[in-house]
Amino acid sequence: MTILVEAKNLHLGYKNEIIIKNTNFNIKTKDFVFLTGVSGSGKTTIIKSLYGEVPVLEGSLKVGGIELNNIKRSKLSYLRRYIGVVFQDYKLIPEWNILKNVMLPLLIAGVDKKIAEEKAIKLLSKVKLSHKLDKYPVELSGGEQQRVAIARAIIHNPVLVLADEPISGLDEYSANLVMDLFVMANREKNITILIASHSLPNSFNIDFRQFHIEKGIVYELS
Amino acid sequence: MSSLKSHLALISALVSILVSIFLFRVFSNILINYEKTILNNYSIIIVSTKEINYLDIKEIQKIEKIDITHQINQIKKKFPTLSFDKIKLPFFYKLELNTLPSPKRLNKIEEILKSYPFIKRVLTYRSSQTKIYNLLMLLKIITYIFMVVIAILGFLLIIKQLEVWKLEHNERMYIMELFGAPFWFRGASLFKIAFIDSIVSLIISISLIFYVLNSAFYNAILKDLNIFVDINIYKEVWVLFIISIAISLFSSILVVINSKR
Repeated sequence: MTILVEAKNLHLGYKNEIIIKNTNFNIKTKDFVFLTGVSGSGKTTIIKSLYGEVPVLEGSLKVGGIELNNIKRSKLSYLRRYIGVVFQDYKLIPEWNILKNVMLPLLIAGVDKKIAEEKAIKLLSKVKLSHKLDKYPVELSGGEQQRVAIARAIIHNPVLVLADEPISGLDEYSANLVMDLFVMANREKNITILIASHSLPNSFNIDFRQFHIEKGIVYELS
Repeated sequence: MSSLKSHLALISALVSILVSIFLFRVFSNILINYEKTILNNYSIIIVSTKEINYLDIKEIQKIEKIDITHQINQIKKKFPTLSFDKIKLPFFYKLELNTLPSPKRLNKIEEILKSYPFIKRVLTYRSSQTKIYNLLMLLKIITYIFMVVIAILGFLLIIKQLEVWKLEHNERMYIMELFGAPFWFRGASLFKIAFIDSIVSLIISISLIFYVLNSAFYNAILKDLNIFVDINIYKEVWVLFIISIAISLFSSILVVINSKR
């Protein structure tokens, strides 16, 4: 397995606040990784830095061999097309129905609209939402919106899926359904998964790696 | 309803800008033609002791000798005893100009003409020329100010519209950007709205313009003032089309560029 994400002496944060300090870690292709830590420890900062939303203050952070420190906007756009992101607040486009929301990464990639639609319908049936294709995000429950967000994150077979607290606030049924989707993406599509969560899910029976953040430093727990 | 309001805001702004630009062009054309008409009816008369073919004044377009035979014959009829054989009659010339000079420049022209030793008399009809010139200048200034004010108001409306668009489309464009959407993809729906609105604005503006151009009132005024407008309406439609598209697309591009990262 090759290294997909590599952080060396990484410092992350905002203008006057360093959140992640001098951290080193790497994630290999097909890895299933949990990033844990208490609230405010920097999980979201790391997730955001991996799709270029939080700048690298110091050190090096590479995704798929592309350096994110001082990355150009055009190169960042290119990189983002190979990453799927499940945001904490879902970030579904409110004026689009869920079918079109799921189609988004394929449309950006220039896939034919009809083919994109077929793929999105197929995937939405896998996440048990085929009966709500023409519904708008506001008409769905939190768990349903989360499943739409996951479908959107994996539809274009990205090399890496980043998920920020994907099961927080969900009931057990929805949480299990969501975790099953990540497992399916990892096993069937060989997508590398990185999930930020304050704790590990109750029942989880596949091999995974766990990174834990404490005092701004990322440790790998064995 | 809010979407309709949003469309109407851009359309009304574009219509006011397009109509003001068209009126500006028409008035400029009218003023140019009016100036030509005035110029055709205006000339300087000089009396010279010798024949003139050339005078070093840039505004002079044509020096035309005035034939006074008819006037001489009239005098001869009235005064048969009067003999013209021993009198050396002066030459009369009409000077046609290529531009309507300002009162200041007209004074200068008169001064230059009088400096020639063979020119004995210069008639510039300054008083009536100055009145016409000042009236023309006043018309020009009022027209330009009016057009500029309308255009500024239109642009202010467009700026307001940009803020509305930013609020309406920012979230979607931001999400698209997070998935690596290129510039044209993020702005596609905005560009589409801008294009449709500019076409609608163009149709409304052209309809208004055609209505005014074909109205009896407008044509009667032009006829009364002996003014003609020689504009190519197809060319004007193209000019307005390009301006309309350019303004709306430029505005939408600004919104996409300024969307939050």
